Amino acid sequence: MFDQLSLNILDIGMNSLAAGATVVRITVIEDVPHDQLLIRIRDNGRGMDEKTLRDVLAKNASTKAGRKKPIGLGLALLRQTSEMCDGAFRIQSAPGKGTGVTASMRLSHVDRPPLGDLNATIFALCAVNQDADVQLHYRSGDQKFHFSSQEGKHNEPRRTQETQGKGAAAGCAA
Amino acid sequence: MNLDELKKLKEKAQRQVALREGNKKYRVVFSMGTSGIAAGAREIMTAMLDEIDKRGIENVEVAVTGEIGLVDAEPVIRIEDRSGEKVTYANVNADAARKIVAEHLQKGKVVDGLAVGKTKEAERTK
Repeated sequence: MFDQLSLNILDIGMNSLAAGATVVRITVIEDVPHDQLLIRIRDNGRGMDEKTLRDVLAKNASTKAGRKKPIGLGLALLRQTSEMCDGAFRIQSAPGKGTGVTASMRLSHVDRPPLGDLNATIFALCAVNQDADVQLHYRSGDQKFHFSSQEGKHNEPRRTQETQGKGAAAGCAA
Repeated sequence: MNLDELKKLKEKAQRQVALREGNKKYRVVFSMGTSGIAAGAREIMTAMLDEIDKRGIENVEVAVTGEIGLVDAEPVIRIEDRSGEKVTYANVNADAARKIVAEHLQKGKVVDGLAVGKTKEAERTK
């Protein structure tokens, strides 16, 4: 059991990276007026087929059943926390289409773990795979921001390509 | 938590993990499965990367693995060197993590009290 939701997020984010994702988008919304906390982890990894999906949702899913697939207790733990805190848990996945995990909770629920150190989670994911784009979309009341670990990098190659394209057309080396 | 702090952390992560490229002397493998994370692997990794950065050690690459079957000994890290020698450290805490960086990664000395199992070298000297 995790004492911080940011550890659940790290756990599932690690699954995403293990599934070969190049983009992991983490969304955290604290909606105080509606007393809701929403956590979503969406990736573009290899995804899971229906059977695997059924397996990971089964409460006794085990890592031993299929070590090569991202099966384990991680999803079951988040689901349990979410359901315990009057929330809902949903997972969508298809081979080649990536995986999306959404967990909601009642923000004020007495059993709801704190978010904890979300920064450390993002840091760890960035450190594990620095080629992947780890994104955090965070909103809480008036505070709102988007973070992308590839922010600078994404723009650069695009700009380089344009420059090269124009350069080639003009017949000069970029 | 704010965006500026995250951006700084990202730069730190990229600077530290830039170390990974190429043929390094040591490879540090963190066990970051569910049980590892629950036992504190995230904090161990943060502490080790911080210590590696502080000491300016460049001959290290960082990797992660999932569950390795040592659930009750987590957090677990494994250090491999180019010769294939593997040392596993179990029940690592943040202080131990920093010590492992100072002793093993910097001076090349296995931290006895923390390593589990036998290393090839230890068997040879017996």
